[in-house]
Amino acid sequence: MTKSKENKKQPEFRQITVMVLISIFQLICAAFVISREKEASENLIFIFFGYIAFEWLYMMFNVIITGKDYFELEAIAFFLSGIGLTVCATFSEAYAIKQLVAIGLGLIAYLAITLLIRDVRVAGMLRYPAAIGSLILLAVNIALAKVTNGALNWLDFGVFSIQPSELVKVAFVLVGAASLDKLLSNTSLTKYILFSLGCVGFLFLMRDFGTALIFFFTFILIAYMRSGDIKTIAIICVGAFIGAALIIAFKPYVANRFAAYRHIWENMDTIGYQQTRTLIYSSSGGLFGLGIGEGKLRNVFAASTDLVFGVICEEMGIATGIAVLIAFAFIGIFAVRAAKGSASSFYAIAAVAAAGMLIFQLSLNVFGITDLLPLTGVTLPFISRGGSSMICSWGLLAYIRAAGAPFRLPAPDVEIARRRRGGGAA
Amino acid sequence: MKKTVKRAAVVYVLIAFFLVGVGILTAQFIMHGSDWATNKVNGHIYSNGTVVNAGTISDRNGRILAESKNNKRVFINTSATMRKAILHIVGDTSGVISTGTHNLYRSNLSGYNIMDGILNLKRNGTGSAIQLNIDCEANRIAYDALGNYNGTLIVCNYKTGELLCSVSKPAYDVNYVPRDLRTNPAYDGVFLDKSVSGQYTPGSIMKIITAASAIENIPDIDSRTFECTGEYQTGDGKVICNGVHGKINFRQALNQSCNCAFAQISIELGADKLLETAKSLGFNRHLKAKEVPLTMSRFHPSKETKTELGWAGIGQSTTYINPTHFLAIMNAIANGGTGYSPDRIATMGILGDVVGRMPETLVKMNPATAAKLKAMLRSNVVDKYGDWNFPGLEMCGKTGTAEIDGKKSTSVFAGFSSKDSLPLAVVCIAEEAGWGSGTAMKASNTVLQYFLKNYE
Repeated sequence: MTKSKENKKQPEFRQITVMVLISIFQLICAAFVISREKEASENLIFIFFGYIAFEWLYMMFNVIITGKDYFELEAIAFFLSGIGLTVCATFSEAYAIKQLVAIGLGLIAYLAITLLIRDVRVAGMLRYPAAIGSLILLAVNIALAKVTNGALNWLDFGVFSIQPSELVKVAFVLVGAASLDKLLSNTSLTKYILFSLGCVGFLFLMRDFGTALIFFFTFILIAYMRSGDIKTIAIICVGAFIGAALIIAFKPYVANRFAAYRHIWENMDTIGYQQTRTLIYSSSGGLFGLGIGEGKLRNVFAASTDLVFGVICEEMGIATGIAVLIAFAFIGIFAVRAAKGSASSFYAIAAVAAAGMLIFQLSLNVFGITDLLPLTGVTLPFISRGGSSMICSWGLLAYIRAAGAPFRLPAPDVEIARRRRGGGAA
Repeated sequence: MKKTVKRAAVVYVLIAFFLVGVGILTAQFIMHGSDWATNKVNGHIYSNGTVVNAGTISDRNGRILAESKNNKRVFINTSATMRKAILHIVGDTSGVISTGTHNLYRSNLSGYNIMDGILNLKRNGTGSAIQLNIDCEANRIAYDALGNYNGTLIVCNYKTGELLCSVSKPAYDVNYVPRDLRTNPAYDGVFLDKSVSGQYTPGSIMKIITAASAIENIPDIDSRTFECTGEYQTGDGKVICNGVHGKINFRQALNQSCNCAFAQISIELGADKLLETAKSLGFNRHLKAKEVPLTMSRFHPSKETKTELGWAGIGQSTTYINPTHFLAIMNAIANGGTGYSPDRIATMGILGDVVGRMPETLVKMNPATAAKLKAMLRSNVVDKYGDWNFPGLEMCGKTGTAEIDGKKSTSVFAGFSSKDSLPLAVVCIAEEAGWGSGTAMKASNTVLQYFLKNYE
């Protein structure tokens, strides 16, 4: 409630300023990309201007619906997605179109989730279908998946392919936050632990250790939010560590996946190839980059997905790279603020879990490709090329938005309004 | 509920960890960025591991030794001999010659800086230019002067540290790389710049070090006399001399390069004192001449047998010198005790150039010792080799003939001109060329005559 006061103090034009700045940045990016070819590509012009126009439309729509100056989260997401779109556009038009569609789908997921969980009871009801659906999706994935880059995490439908584990991430937060929102009954806790074990287990079978780690981390985060019991968390972590050690002892191939860690320069042309190239070309870019599309890291495998941070550093500069990282830190800060003003502990847990998941995945990606952490092959949220990852990123963002400033329809739902007051007093 | 909300602050902890990571990453870019950006697989600079785009390398007179044109590295086109003579100092384009300017100063040549990365190189196809202190004409003359022998010849201004000439043989012409470069034994060591990466048995020039130790540790050394009968009985063996010198004093012992006298001096000094002097002059240490890493000069006088100790003191046994390190010792003797690092770089197109490159002391010697040694080395030329061997140079120096089992001896010369107007020191090593007073001394003179004519 203090929040709305704060918002009133904010100058009216702020939202416009943010939009103008983002648009200028994106216009510059567009100009770079489009001017690379002698004849400007009409498609690219449509893609970029379409994207920028869409951002403005969304902002205005947002003002009408919420009537408030609450736009930071979307602004950050648009900024990050725009950078991803720029990188895709320098690879090919086809990538750019797909990425634009992905952003659209992401935004739809974002709005849908925000609207769905407006009512905390709906979220509660959704948790069973979400949990069961997730496990089925992962099971089907294992049954049908094809091996991509050492991990079995893709479902190929010919025209498009999806990475079910990305979609399950969104469900995982919902299930965790909704299950533990109830008074901590043993059955709901047990069920949630079983669900988490199922997810992590499936991911291990798929050899997608990076995503498994993200799920485990989020589980810990949710458990902490609910219980606040550091001791229990520590025991779980030690247990997991022993488990991991056992896995490595009996399945040495797991450890081999991480053999390059801190030894990338000795293995420059084998298992350290991607990391060394990322460092070499990122530092080539200096603070301000060699120019969009002018880089060489783009020729390395997975440049537009896993290594996209390196492409950004090389072509747009380490300054832009760091700006991207700081933007994620702001998402985290907003999540805490949103959680503090949220109407029920469900929203608080979901917002924290979502922000934690995003930042943890970002860390695995950025520090993985730069050899500060082992390389696990996870994507950079909002920026890496790919629909599943984009939908997941926006989907997670929805939890933060829902906690901070849930969308309200012009005629407020009396039932919900009452609940919010009730929640606030509890 | 309230508690749950408070716990949301755990995200701040996560952010803090994350920002620490970002900080480390940034610090790594600042510390290692230049190394990383100039790695051989960087396609902006290299193509298949060879430099294509980099700054121009020129000599002290502005003659272009290597430059980039249209994504190709082009070398000086005067003659094949010239390209061979500058090969090791300029370096090959693949960086196989690791101490070559192309490899060692690749970061400067790429024009890398933390702000722009290698943007300038990307835009213009060239990075920052480097001007060397080397005179390429002197290099060519030195290359020819070594004749058919392998080895090295280096010349340095002992008052400033400027490295004016640096040649290493064998070499090859980068424009016509021999097919059998890696298989033909004639090219053994072709990828080493022997002036900085070489290790040689010094022969009698090591007597300079022994003399330095004697000057500092034996107060009445000047009034001593030694009896040379052609060999010296140490008690557990004997040291053989290059002649029968009869009764001689300390100075004459160095003039004659008398093994008997110097073995006797070494044994009197003992392994510890000899080692102390050698260490204080830079032996057994990893040295760098400015940015150039030098192979270690090794001196391990025997503590077990007097004979071995005697041989060590006259530069045989297990003693090795690095030519550039020895040049710095010459610099110290010539320059009143302060031996500057031989420095190949004149300017690098960086901010530091405004004040100029500061000379750096590599070898420090007691000024009194330096003065005494200088006088003795001058006496060598005047009383033994003859000034007619070095017309107009007022030369000081010492020859060496290093015996290596199963091979012809290595010819060694180390010295300097004592003229104020020509403050140049020289070290020359000619492998399997026989007596030190032969090839090495003659080649040194040939190159110094060029400088006398063009620089005085």
